Amino acid sequence: MWYGGEDATSDWTVPGNPLVRLDFSEEASVSGPDEGVFFEELYRSDGARMKSIAYNILGNAADAEDAVQEAFLRAYRGMGTFKGTARVSTWVYRILVNACHDIGRQRRRRRDESELAPEDQLPSSTAHAAGDAPLRLALEKAVGALRPRPRDVFVLFEVEGFLHREIAEILDIAEGTSKALLFEARRELKSALGEAQGRPR
Amino acid sequence: MTYTDDEISRAARQLRREWESPELWPRIQAALSAEAAARAARRRASLRSSGLTLAAAAAVLVLGLSVVLRVRAPQPGVPAPQAERRLLTDQALREVERTESDYVRSIEALSRVAEPKVEEAGSPLMMSYREKLLLLDSAIAECRAGIDRNRFNARLRRELLSLYQEKQHTLQQVMKEDAYAL
Repeated sequence: MWYGGEDATSDWTVPGNPLVRLDFSEEASVSGPDEGVFFEELYRSDGARMKSIAYNILGNAADAEDAVQEAFLRAYRGMGTFKGTARVSTWVYRILVNACHDIGRQRRRRRDESELAPEDQLPSSTAHAAGDAPLRLALEKAVGALRPRPRDVFVLFEVEGFLHREIAEILDIAEGTSKALLFEARRELKSALGEAQGRPR
Repeated sequence: MTYTDDEISRAARQLRREWESPELWPRIQAALSAEAAARAARRRASLRSSGLTLAAAAAVLVLGLSVVLRVRAPQPGVPAPQAERRLLTDQALREVERTESDYVRSIEALSRVAEPKVEEAGSPLMMSYREKLLLLDSAIAECRAGIDRNRFNARLRRELLSLYQEKQHTLQQVMKEDAYAL
């Protein structure tokens, strides 16, 4: 499912729970009568997208699932401090991105050379949105080699379809910085892809 | 020739991944349950320690007040000195008595709801609240006895007001704890 565009982001209500709106246009609260129900609904509505973001930041499915679990745990621990000044979606995705960075650092320390290619580590049922074009494979590798901030912005904007203002809130940066980081990511990717394909730049 | 932004954008959309992970939500649920259990255990431990602190603080408060009352209260039959009478004018006394009546009314209303809960509950925290309320009642009674002997004693009036405030606050805490326990 593609989430890009204004319309897609204006409708992120957690199903069956009017207290929780995951949109970017209204203030929201996670303090409902049942925390368990809130998290289950959040998982149902946003779990797949969270896994995809984590996968593209961390590069493999197992770490991505660990990051999603860690994000839920951190969100649960932080619920008492969430006062509705931030939006629920911003809050949850920000927690996820931070969890990805922490897990990425831990994993890099533990396994430097034995890391498998991301493709090898996905379950066999994994379905890509489209066919395995050579550009996609090269891009996947190149995205993995980007520096963290440009990579985060590229993944959130180009892969997941967030808007710059949403990315700015999630990463706690200015909207202009988000645009500049995307420009930087594209420039680095073009260079890396050109080299990989032997295309003249 | 190099890749355009459009080519990269189109390829990037194909990087979105979806895969089944039926074991992930149960794993998250188990982690959340474990965290909730740990949090509840921490809260119980904290309540036990705060209950003991409350009881100790109440005991110290009441002990201090009784010492002060015994040392300063005039002997029965001995008229209060004129200077002390001047501490409160008739008008100020009426104000103070009105405030006291307001407190008494508020406390009575709270007590009707809170005291049965304190009596019924068996938790260490509620038991310490019960003990504190008993000590406060006894201090209030002692203070009022002193005031009966001299209505113009400003110091005793202040102490009585402070005791009423403490009792009101304690009853409100009882209500809050009871609501939280539900």
